[in-house]
Amino acid sequence: MRQLSRRDALALGASGAALTVTGWSTRASAAAKEAAEQIDKFTGGKTAAKGKVSIELPEIAENGNTVPLSVTVDAPMTADNYVSEILVVADGNPNPGVATFHLSPLSGKAEASTRIRLATTQNIIAVAKTSKGEFFTNQKLVKVTIGGCGG
Amino acid sequence: MAEKPRLKIPKEAKKGEVIEIKTLLPHVMESGQRKDKDGKTIPRKIINKFACEFNGKLVFTANMDPAIAANPYMQFYAKVDESGTFKFTWTDDDGTITTAEEKITVS
Amino acid sequence: MTRGGILAGTAAIALLAGAAVLAGGLIVNAQSKKEAPLDTKGDASERPWKRYAGWPTRDESKYNTLGNLATQPAPKQPRKITGAIIGDAKKGAELVADRNRGGSCLACHVMGPAGGANLPGNVAPDLSEIGNAGREDEWLFNYIYDGRVYNPDTVMPPWGSHGFFNDQEINDMVAFLKTLKSPAAFKTELDDPSKRPAPVEKRDNLDPIENPGMWAVDKAQELWKQKSSAGFSCNTCHSDPQATFKTWAASMPKWEPRLNKVLGVEEFVTRHAKATTGANWLMETDDNLAMSVYLRFLANGTPIQVDTSSAEAKAAIDRGKELSQRKVGQLNMACTDCHGKVANHWIRGQWLGEPKGQYDHFPTWRTSLLKVWDIRQRFQWCQVNIRADELPPDAKEYGDLELYLASQNEGLKLSVPGIRH
Repeated sequence: MRQLSRRDALALGASGAALTVTGWSTRASAAAKEAAEQIDKFTGGKTAAKGKVSIELPEIAENGNTVPLSVTVDAPMTADNYVSEILVVADGNPNPGVATFHLSPLSGKAEASTRIRLATTQNIIAVAKTSKGEFFTNQKLVKVTIGGCGG
Repeated sequence: MAEKPRLKIPKEAKKGEVIEIKTLLPHVMESGQRKDKDGKTIPRKIINKFACEFNGKLVFTANMDPAIAANPYMQFYAKVDESGTFKFTWTDDDGTITTAEEKITVS
Repeated sequence: MTRGGILAGTAAIALLAGAAVLAGGLIVNAQSKKEAPLDTKGDASERPWKRYAGWPTRDESKYNTLGNLATQPAPKQPRKITGAIIGDAKKGAELVADRNRGGSCLACHVMGPAGGANLPGNVAPDLSEIGNAGREDEWLFNYIYDGRVYNPDTVMPPWGSHGFFNDQEINDMVAFLKTLKSPAAFKTELDDPSKRPAPVEKRDNLDPIENPGMWAVDKAQELWKQKSSAGFSCNTCHSDPQATFKTWAASMPKWEPRLNKVLGVEEFVTRHAKATTGANWLMETDDNLAMSVYLRFLANGTPIQVDTSSAEAKAAIDRGKELSQRKVGQLNMACTDCHGKVANHWIRGQWLGEPKGQYDHFPTWRTSLLKVWDIRQRFQWCQVNIRADELPPDAKEYGDLELYLASQNEGLKLSVPGIRH
């Protein structure tokens, strides 16, 4: 396995303290805009209703390299009413896309967990699509911790 | 090579039971954001797709972006109605496919 | 086979035969009173020692290391400041939050709105109302320049006398401090270090799906059977590692009279492999780390129990204790500053722990670096971060320090590989 140098690991996923104030806000709003566009494309322009989706994330991530994420959707997962897709985006990453999960009635439960990378403190937004063509959404703020001396 | 995919699936289940599946694949998930010591961008090379089939039927798929952390971990659920084999497939950007299988007895 | 090859093969067989005769059989009991063969000639890590790629490349030779004293003594008097200090408070606000200048003041102090009050630390007093505390400009200046003139035991780095900030920059920071007259407005409760709960490690570090570090165990099991060019592997003499090494690692590190130093597991692996199978497993290589994880993994659950009573061990522990109290680096800090005086506090967004509980999970997987770290690399990184030159991983000083640390962890059960940020 390739070894990540300290600097590389920081570039990958530590706090955005190294960016200038203007640089940060420009990048932040660009990322948020792209995240919104990805969501729009996913819903075909429809507005997703807030609810049914719950996101589990640490309140403070110990670093930006490995952040555990869990998305659950309250849905029966029967043949006539199931979650078919879940889109996850991070509105502060250079590329906001995180993953798209595809489920089926064979899933039994509308829940998926993974580990993600975060460039900085930001919102994780999940949008669920059901077999009935409905869209539900929720979001959660994750703070990426700032290292002390760099240890 | 010592690093093999890790799978956690129950060996047995009851008919209709919803079981939890955990998977972990060793992979650096090179995001395409990092630069090497000469300042050149290290090209992206990630697992962009993960799929789980049971007895040939698709149960769960994940399309993955570089924001998925190195050593991609996926946890999800499957409803099992019969005995059979789970097959897991990881697809790398460069086309390499890694697979793993695990059997389950359903009574 | 060439003549040279036959000779080498013969020598290797003679070595093995020697080991077998010593041990009284091919199956070697690690707990037997016979000494394990060790290569005592070479170094156990790369020479010349080169800092790891990607680590800061500052030259800190002007300051103490654990192997060398170089730091200039503290000034005897505060510097005289006549008249009020003129500084740019706005610049000062940026300087106190600048992590590139040795971590930033916010690593230790809450300072009102500085840095957006984003996860400041609480190692040191909250300075959000210092503008109302009736402090003289001269006092503020000198505390930043070199706090030792007021408190010889201070943990505060000598920001001026050790060259982090020039006089004008300190003036700017003083000007900013003078504007601080009300408590910090935290965006969330988690930003407030006085309300932030201490972290609790809940992950199951021995679950191979939770901890990528467990791949090191698989790798070591392969290495165990890997035959050297002479045809020997660890397995040749140790065919039942699970039984043989059930408690061994918990007794390490240990004084080694043949090398006149404390030997840790990692260095033992290097020297023992070289002297037996001929495998070249230098410290800090992936192979060495895998073996080091595995040898402790085999002893998981065993309480740490190191020799603290022999004369050599006592002397090493005394040296280790002194080393842990030595101020090193440009930041002028000792292990006992962070992990003693101000333990159980937040340094920015990270928790400073006590020595007890800091050894039982090494080597550990580091989630931020995607790598296994042994205790020696951990020592090295701490040093580089407080801007002190690190020593090679097999430095005798690290051995003393490790034995001291192990003695503070007596009774804790090994649980390796760990998993940490």
